[in-house]
Amino acid sequence: MELAQFAIRKLIGGIPLVIGVTFISFVLMVYFGPDKTYELLGKNPTPEQIEEVRHQLGYDRPFFVRYADYLQELVTLDFGHSDSTGERVSGLLVRTIPVSLALTAPGFILGNALGIVLALIAAYHRGGWIDKLIMGGAVVGMSISFLIAIVAFQLIFSSSYGLNLFPVRGWDVYSLADYVRYVTVPTLATVFVALGYNTRFYRAVIVEEMTRDHVRTARAFGARPWKLLYKNILKNSLIPIITRIMFSIPLVVISGSLLIESYFGIPGVGKVTYDAITTGDQPVLKAVVGLTAVLFVFTLLLTDIMYKMVDPRVSLK
Amino acid sequence: MTSLRSATLLILAAGFLLVGCGNGGGNRNAAAAGQKVYRHSMDQAPVSVDPTQAATVYSNFIVLNVYDTLYAYKYLARPYELKPNLAAGMPEVSADGLTYTIRLKPGVSYTDDESFADGIGREVVAEDFIYSIKRHFDPRSLSQGAWVWQGRIEGLDEWKEAGSDYAAPVSGLQAPDRHTLQIRLTRPYPQLVHTLTMGFSALVPREAVEHYGREFSIRPVGSGPFKLRRFDTARAALIRNPRFRSEPVDLAAEGYDPTLHDGLGLEAIAGRAPPFVDRVDVDFITEDAARWNSFSKGNEIQFAKIPTEQFDTVLSSKTPPTMKTELEGRYKMLDLVAPEVIFNTFNMDFEEFGYNTDPVRAGRNKALRCAVIKAFDWNQRNERFYNGIAKIYPGIIPPAVPEFDAGMSQVSVIRDVEGARKLLADNGWDSDTLPKLVYGVAASVKQRQLFEQFRGFLSEIGYPSEKVVLEQFATFGDISKAWKQSKLPFVSKSWGLDYPDAENVLQLFYGPNGSPGSNDANFADPEYDRLYEQSAVMQPGPERTAIYRRMNEILVDNCVAIMGLSRTNLLMWHDNVIGYPDRNIVGGFWLRYVDLRQE
Repeated sequence: MELAQFAIRKLIGGIPLVIGVTFISFVLMVYFGPDKTYELLGKNPTPEQIEEVRHQLGYDRPFFVRYADYLQELVTLDFGHSDSTGERVSGLLVRTIPVSLALTAPGFILGNALGIVLALIAAYHRGGWIDKLIMGGAVVGMSISFLIAIVAFQLIFSSSYGLNLFPVRGWDVYSLADYVRYVTVPTLATVFVALGYNTRFYRAVIVEEMTRDHVRTARAFGARPWKLLYKNILKNSLIPIITRIMFSIPLVVISGSLLIESYFGIPGVGKVTYDAITTGDQPVLKAVVGLTAVLFVFTLLLTDIMYKMVDPRVSLK
Repeated sequence: MTSLRSATLLILAAGFLLVGCGNGGGNRNAAAAGQKVYRHSMDQAPVSVDPTQAATVYSNFIVLNVYDTLYAYKYLARPYELKPNLAAGMPEVSADGLTYTIRLKPGVSYTDDESFADGIGREVVAEDFIYSIKRHFDPRSLSQGAWVWQGRIEGLDEWKEAGSDYAAPVSGLQAPDRHTLQIRLTRPYPQLVHTLTMGFSALVPREAVEHYGREFSIRPVGSGPFKLRRFDTARAALIRNPRFRSEPVDLAAEGYDPTLHDGLGLEAIAGRAPPFVDRVDVDFITEDAARWNSFSKGNEIQFAKIPTEQFDTVLSSKTPPTMKTELEGRYKMLDLVAPEVIFNTFNMDFEEFGYNTDPVRAGRNKALRCAVIKAFDWNQRNERFYNGIAKIYPGIIPPAVPEFDAGMSQVSVIRDVEGARKLLADNGWDSDTLPKLVYGVAASVKQRQLFEQFRGFLSEIGYPSEKVVLEQFATFGDISKAWKQSKLPFVSKSWGLDYPDAENVLQLFYGPNGSPGSNDANFADPEYDRLYEQSAVMQPGPERTAIYRRMNEILVDNCVAIMGLSRTNLLMWHDNVIGYPDRNIVGGFWLRYVDLRQE
């Protein structure tokens, strides 16, 4: 009952957040974003045709009427049709988000899981050569741009100039084997870059926890290293770890990964979002921004519930 | 931790479940089923495959394979030659050149689709053409092709003004019977048949447009050789239309010339009815590195435009482009000059460079423009950005059209720094008086490099670098808006030809086409406009060619633009692919003739 009340309170409290995000983003779209009119015109337009296109796009309607429509679309989850492709926005997202999710999930999970493990090892050996080795590797991962990592991994694992083990591009996924074929190289590139950031962050959190009295006490009692790391340190470090992981999820789900999708020819939501931004496809942008805001509200709720799960001292009131 | 582990497993399971939904691709499945699958690549993706929006080479490529047009270009004949496609023959044209009578081939059907009453594609009839053209004049279609027929077909503009009611007739578009079409023009339009090869003119069934509504743009229903099975940002998958009419290939009629086409294996398709492959996957690959990796891998895409950074890997010589001997037997290569013109034009609306009410200043402005043109080094531009294999020519008429004048004076494309300095000095221009020149581009690294090179050219004639200013626009839409609103004094542009007739580029400087029309220069010269109007109603011939060339000279004499260059594209395909993959003008029409040699 307490949880339900908390959830309802939290969701209601999220409404101003959604309104704020959607309002600011809509102002940016309307007054600062690309004017789609000029993307849709023929080669030799007349002023009348320019006005016709503006009318068809609804650009000649008052701002607040358009914004009210936006909110209604968000409530009904009906964002109409893409101004570029004509495809129903809901259909577009249903088609592309699962692909992006399937593409980014392994890298996201592995990047975080390995990051935590490496951070635990590095923190335990703080100042020693193992710590320096892991942190050195993390710096390498952070220093290399994602784009270069993608090109290099594609060249090494997929091209005829390298090992030629995986496809360069495509997403013809009909079985688990197909999935592994197509997702492996993008995942390796993602993990390579994400690991650096994750390891450094988690190590800092864990090192701080290691200085606590209860850890010193456990050590004094002769706790074995892995038990100490898992039970006494990791469990008590979970709040910032959960925060980092949870707040990455909406971006992973909705935004996908433009670079990965472009280089590996994967029809995910990242490319769709990028195209919508660069061409001013407002129906798609409205959906992506609005849904991301809503997802963040749910993430906030889930995060608070997870805090309570890992730390009973946290109150939901 | 148990909860966390459960959540992780749940996410993983959901991921696999979602992936298991598939995406309608099935390239490997098709290949495994013994089907012939050709994998093509393009450097951009189309956003829509609705004929009303077939404004780009990329859209046109797909549209011309899914839909039928009345006419087409012969597969191999160059210069380009028209031929009937869905039409039974070439049009019968009245003596006054105003009425075109076209007969459609009987018995041609649309592909089966749920939008038809019984799911079976019905026959393509003349009324479909009328409906398809009307759609361009319906504002709800957001057509990008109306300009092709605007003011040309009797009653069509009035039909639009009256509210675009499809039940209302258009006097200039009549169907006396199911297979006969009559087009009546307001004035002679010699390019009409060319426009009937364009994706814009493709015939669509009204049932499908009404059934799919706005999603018709991604769910095409046509009578072309292929059906679209998948279309997204990464790929278009086309499968053979089993009901496509049987029309065996007559190689000689398509322009086959053994001296030009020997070694391409085209003899294998003679006498057979296209399409020859079961499936075509068109991968949209914007990144050059990814495209090359996929192409050179051997078992992925079979066709690619060679990225400039791979020229040294592929070519043993650039003039003429020659493939390295070690690659022969694995690949075939073709070098094609694109039917386009790359040019930079002054916007004559700006009185500091262009037209000025003060005749003295107008004269000085012309001298300034001429000096900038003399400062421009086309050869260096070619070397730095186009690997030295692009074609440079004076004027706006490119080599791709029959009216190109190979004998025209080259003075306007030869750099003359001393001449430019002298022109400036003689007309009172110095570093203090020279006006600020704003060079607008859609933001990209390459555009920035092009600008810096241009600024370097000008600095050598004494134009202060701080007065040559870059204005960057975030997107193509933004810079297009600036062009259309005549807000940029200097326009850097490329124009792809819609049809092989110089009228298509000469209209870029026709006065009434000024902003927001295609005349970004806002050039308005009475003699030029008169000649344009005179030639616009003339059939091709030496007299019209002479007028075109005179107009070209007017542009050069007025120093209105820095002209021109056409890129040479190097195309490569795997040796087992039988084809002549020239998408210039022809669009994707050639895809139906592609075959694969069994290894």
